[in-house]
Amino acid sequence: MKTKLLLPNCFKRPGWIILIPSALLGLFIIIFDYDFSFLETRVFTIYSGSFPLKDSGWFSVIESNLTNTIVGVLFIIGAVFVAFSKEKTEDEFIAKIRLESLLWATYINYGVLLFCFIFFYAFEFLYVMIFNMFTILIFFIIRFYYMLYRSNKSLGHEKQTEN
Amino acid sequence: MKNKLKIERAIKDITQEELAREIGVTRQAINSIELGKYVPSTILALKLSRFFGKPVNDIFLLEDND
Repeated sequence: MKTKLLLPNCFKRPGWIILIPSALLGLFIIIFDYDFSFLETRVFTIYSGSFPLKDSGWFSVIESNLTNTIVGVLFIIGAVFVAFSKEKTEDEFIAKIRLESLLWATYINYGVLLFCFIFFYAFEFLYVMIFNMFTILIFFIIRFYYMLYRSNKSLGHEKQTEN
Repeated sequence: MKNKLKIERAIKDITQEELAREIGVTRQAINSIELGKYVPSTILALKLSRFFGKPVNDIFLLEDND
């Protein structure tokens, strides 16, 4: 994996600082179906075909609430920073873990989506789609850091036997 | 694939940490190679060979199932 495709290591910490609050806030607004009323505003949209019909059409300005938009955007930015910024030291072993974790996360993500495709319908499926926008990054981050943790743990073991 | 990295390291009397620093990889990489969990790239194998002053074939050995 070419490391020039990765963000610098200094993105890691701001990534976590953005990711954790936006993940918690995201869960909160989904579970309680909450919108911040002060984020009710007129926004530009590429296409709006739904209710209210008076605003429908291409490249129009509609009335909407930005709570979901802002939380979603922050989550994605935070998660991408955390997932794809360099580790303090990079080498081919870390690159291999990263690539494997990416494959693993894609499999799990589409496995879960396939399951939900078959067993959820109509409006409930919309929730599946909302979660699915974020799960591939979540699965990747969990798996990648778990594998790094495991390889660090086996280091500790080696250290003891060496001495 | 088997390897004699741990033995070579013992002969030279250097730690995983020192070897990792010399070669320019993480200690996790050296450790995983020694544990047989990771097969290094040709470049890394050649760097190890150069560091120990031995042919790659003396450090890394093919097994029957390779």
